[in-house]
Amino acid sequence: MSLLQIEPTSWLFALSSLGPTVVLVLSALAVLAIDSLSPDARSNTRLAATAAAGTLIALGITVWYLLAGTGQPATGGAISLFSGAIVVDGMGLFFTAIFTSVAALVVVASYDYLEDDANPAAFYSLLLFATTAMSLMAVANSLATVFISLEMASLPSYALVAYLKTNRGSVEAGLKYFLIGAVSAAVFAFGISLVYAATGSLLLPDIATAIGDVTDLAGILGVGILMVAGGFLFKTASVPFHFWAPEAYEGAPAPVSAFLSSASKAAGFAVAFRVFAEAFMPALDVAVDWGLLFGILAVVTMVLGNFAAATQTNVKRMLAYSSIGHAGYALIGLAAVTAGAGANNATVMGAAMAHLLVYGFMNTGAFLFIAMIERWGVGRTFEDYAGIGRKAPMASMAMAVFMFSLAGLPLFGGFFSKYFLFLGAINAGFWWLAAVGAVTSALSLYYYSRVVKALWLEEPTGNLDALDSKPTGLYAAVIVAGVITVLLLPGFGPVIETAEAAAAAVFA
Amino acid sequence: MVPVEYYLLLSSGLFCIGLFGILTRRNALYFLMSVELMLNAANINLVAFSFYWGNLTGQTFALFAIALAAAEVAVGIGIILALYRNFGDVDVMQAATMRW
Amino acid sequence: MVTAFDYVPAIVLLPFVSFVVALFIGKQLPKKGAYGGIAATAGSLLLSLWVLASVAGGGAHQETYWTWAEGVGSQPFTLEFGALIDPLSALMLVIVTLIATLVHVFSLGYMNDEGERDLPRYYAGLGLFTASMLGFVIADNLLMAFMFFELVGLCSFLLIGFHFREPGPPSAAKKAFLVTRFGDYFLLVGVVAVFATFGTAAFAGAESFPALAEGALDGTVDVWTPGGLDTMTWFTVVGLLVLGGVIGKSAQFPLHTWLPDAMEGPTPVSALIHAATMVAAGVYLVARMYGFYALTPTTLGIIALVGGFTALFAATMGLVKEELKQVLAYSTISQYGYMMLALGSGGYVAAVFHLTTHAFFKALLFLGAGSVIIAMHHNENMWDMGGLKNKMPVTYWTFLAGSLALAGIFPFAGFWSKDEILYEALIHAGSEPLLFAGYAMGLLAVPVTAFYTFRMVFLTFHGNARSEIARNPEPVRWNVKGPLSVLGALAVVTGGINMVPVQKVLGIEGIDYLHLWLDNHWGGIEGLSSHHYAEIDPYSSTYPFGTEVATVLAGAAISLALAVAGLLLAWKLYNVAEPVEHTDKLGGAKTLLYNNYYQDEFQVWLADRTRGVSGGADTFDQGVVDGVVNGVSSVSLFGGDRIKRIQTGVVGNYALLLTVSLTALLVVFALLGGWF
Repeated sequence: MSLLQIEPTSWLFALSSLGPTVVLVLSALAVLAIDSLSPDARSNTRLAATAAAGTLIALGITVWYLLAGTGQPATGGAISLFSGAIVVDGMGLFFTAIFTSVAALVVVASYDYLEDDANPAAFYSLLLFATTAMSLMAVANSLATVFISLEMASLPSYALVAYLKTNRGSVEAGLKYFLIGAVSAAVFAFGISLVYAATGSLLLPDIATAIGDVTDLAGILGVGILMVAGGFLFKTASVPFHFWAPEAYEGAPAPVSAFLSSASKAAGFAVAFRVFAEAFMPALDVAVDWGLLFGILAVVTMVLGNFAAATQTNVKRMLAYSSIGHAGYALIGLAAVTAGAGANNATVMGAAMAHLLVYGFMNTGAFLFIAMIERWGVGRTFEDYAGIGRKAPMASMAMAVFMFSLAGLPLFGGFFSKYFLFLGAINAGFWWLAAVGAVTSALSLYYYSRVVKALWLEEPTGNLDALDSKPTGLYAAVIVAGVITVLLLPGFGPVIETAEAAAAAVFA
Repeated sequence: MVPVEYYLLLSSGLFCIGLFGILTRRNALYFLMSVELMLNAANINLVAFSFYWGNLTGQTFALFAIALAAAEVAVGIGIILALYRNFGDVDVMQAATMRW
Repeated sequence: MVTAFDYVPAIVLLPFVSFVVALFIGKQLPKKGAYGGIAATAGSLLLSLWVLASVAGGGAHQETYWTWAEGVGSQPFTLEFGALIDPLSALMLVIVTLIATLVHVFSLGYMNDEGERDLPRYYAGLGLFTASMLGFVIADNLLMAFMFFELVGLCSFLLIGFHFREPGPPSAAKKAFLVTRFGDYFLLVGVVAVFATFGTAAFAGAESFPALAEGALDGTVDVWTPGGLDTMTWFTVVGLLVLGGVIGKSAQFPLHTWLPDAMEGPTPVSALIHAATMVAAGVYLVARMYGFYALTPTTLGIIALVGGFTALFAATMGLVKEELKQVLAYSTISQYGYMMLALGSGGYVAAVFHLTTHAFFKALLFLGAGSVIIAMHHNENMWDMGGLKNKMPVTYWTFLAGSLALAGIFPFAGFWSKDEILYEALIHAGSEPLLFAGYAMGLLAVPVTAFYTFRMVFLTFHGNARSEIARNPEPVRWNVKGPLSVLGALAVVTGGINMVPVQKVLGIEGIDYLHLWLDNHWGGIEGLSSHHYAEIDPYSSTYPFGTEVATVLAGAAISLALAVAGLLLAWKLYNVAEPVEHTDKLGGAKTLLYNNYYQDEFQVWLADRTRGVSGGADTFDQGVVDGVVNGVSSVSLFGGDRIKRIQTGVVGNYALLLTVSLTALLVVFALLGGWF
């Protein structure tokens, strides 16, 4: 099926199926419009309200669709649009829910962060455009839409990281992110061209069908799949395409770090899960055992991220490395996939999706706490955090929740998601992945508890008078993220069920 | 007619030249140009195999890829400009204050 | 009709409510939340007694309160919260609530009267601690048990580190938390393995994992094992993984190092931790899933060996400690070693018996120590005490009762339970020689225990006061004496619940109440009886002294003789405030000189010897065991430090590394896939 043979698609139907995406892009344009209608007015409040409304409405629509069963087996299965280039289904909606939730939290938090900024419209619109692109990534069903939406998400992200253009750290972070991103994009594009060369199609289902007939071009296909995997590894900050992550997260404005490490990472996994589950399953036997590839990379990523995080002195950089470690956990969702093990594959991939959702809240919350600290100008190292618990108990309590949840202590949402992930891996016969995951989790408790210890148990070293100001938006975002992280423990049942059903539909 | 394998060799060669440029050039602008070479290597494949398979998917996608490359350069130049303002140079190796 | 079982959740929730109340409005309350805590735990105690009575009336109860997650698709696991009330858990509920109530009352004297700061935080911690332990006790599946197990660990972290402004407590709290967490990760893997193997983690019922495991070994049930491993081998591995958590929490060798440090916490907390909650949790878990452990002889052997070794090892270290609470800390480790020895030797009832008696006499000893510490203005060094006997008679007599029980002197509670443990190990040693090693170590630990216990008693209470404070100790009030008296009485009489030796020797039937109780004599749940465990465990009984009665008598005589010997030695060496004049009147000059000479020399010799042996044990403890734990963390940190050097900060290097890794992957997978 080529792009020329266009089937008639009702535009209205297409737009309503892509409701969240449409709302996001409209709100981004609205932000630009507000700014260009009154370019001189400092309209941070109006812009933030518009952006927050856009993300929340998109989130509302997504959740509504999820509950109503849109694109899911209950109402007749996935909705295929634009000659199959886009597919709206449970997985896409699940991931869109993650992106829009994270974006909403980040927008609310940015309201305070951008209080003294000259031109907040650029920030909000870039953020919204990136979110739009991510929501497209979640439903992309052709390598063409995958590549375009992935780049559409990356380009605003580069600009966001370098947003503080007079800050050397921010610019350096933006440069490194951009350069590694450009190389990865080239590798990714070349991989896609090789897959196209071997199979003659870019639509995921067609690729899956064509792989069976690939004979002498199996090598080309294998190289192509590896390079496509490289593009996803970049987006998810996994080894060996992770090099940009520590610096980008450290140098970027903290709300941007929150956005990238939660939403952008989840978006990378969204496409990776769909592309590998839908298109490349038959290649497991023919061209390349990519399950083994992701297994190796998952282990290396978990080890590198957690070990490097253990010796950091800067809290934000520690979180950056921990974010790499968590990419390793989510990679288990791909690594534990084997040919012909349908139900197990869906279980483990669903667990990885659920982990990304929980991670979206706890990690966003943690970075937003850092944003609050940056706003107070307290400092960056563990020592600077000493004694903050007594001056800002609510926020520090929330931070303790995030840290323990990230470590996987059984009081918070992070416990169940890791538990199901490891359980799924063991069930699928990949006990070694679960073992490495458990050991690195044990190590992670060390560096996460350092933060809690500094906040609560140590005497303040510096002057903490700055903490008397209470940034409302940041506080609200951190507390909401904390509450949701706790609520995800009792509410984990529906989450994992939705995720597994969505994953099962993709494998079917 | 030129066998289709030759196009693969050409594109791989171009890709490797681009990669070589990335690994050896310190100037950010050269870095960008090298990335462009790598992207164009992909485009060669797409166009050649579009002809080989007899569909237009590859050619259409190549157009998108070219447009995206242009957008990427626009963002890239912006960041390089900020780099020049802050570090007084466009040397990519110099911005190395954050590490470990 | 409303039965006691309808109130089971309330037993857990009452202390939890007191936690919430103390946390949020504790500052406004009189006594900062203490009364709320006392009321809540006392309420739980009454409900627990009612539950106990209902179980005795033929009831048993299993109920699911809440289902977390239904099994979906290929995930056939349902995760549930439920209660399992059988003789074992009903007994444990009473023990925990009783001790918790007494500790709350005692805290009025130890914390409020001493003018401590931050009391709402203290009482909130106690409430949550009690609630988590009770939740753990009633848990009807392993996952729920694990979650409360973790909560217990977290609470102990908060309470041990209560005095966080001083340098010691936070680091002790951290150590307790990390060391037990190290064990808990094994437990977590074990829980996952149980789920993966059986698809359920329920403790009781035909579909519970012990029942399925039994079926799997009989070949009637199919279970998953990794890589088609032999089921017996795999069950042993699973059992050992779970045991990791037990060893951490119950402070068994080699994860016992956190417990002595945990003495940094307030003394009532130590009492709670040692007698009824955290440390007891480990042993209780093994007893709870004993139907699973009894199936694998190797695991049982390891449990027995670890227990016996810990009992002896910790006891020798107790010999050289100078602080009152330190001696008690090592005695706790040693006593839990005995319980593990009992579990490993098939003595399920004996272990529960010792758990019960130990809970009472160790709580008593800690609270007594707390009373002494109040009197001594928080000086814990025994060499600064002495002569407190007449100044604080209530404390002295109750402490003495507790010490006699700990030393295992007839007819105090500890004698009966310790004797039964050694007896079980002895008669089962015929079928498993490992048990004989456990028995030997357990027996050797008896005189050592008696010796250090009475060394402690004599140094603290007898002789002359060795410091100004000891001459004028601060008086303690009713809120200290009350709990001590209750526990003192229990330490004397608890042995009466299970007088097996008397039954066997005199032939009186029906006075082994605990045996009957745990054997579902009055009611219980099918498959959770001691009778059933005895059927599936791999041991058979042989009587090394001919008949059963002879073995009972001989075993009791040996252990009692050893205990008395240890006591007498302590008497000789340490009950010597003004010995010179005293012995002067008694004997002739020559004998007196000889005895003096002998006594001095022997004291020096023994002190040197024991210092050598137990000092060596101490060095091993501090050097090797701590060294391994520290070593692992240093290696990790060093590794982290090396790994992060890859991130050089120069983006050109990143591009190079990225290219090299991608190329390496391409080459590896090209070779694997045979592309070219």
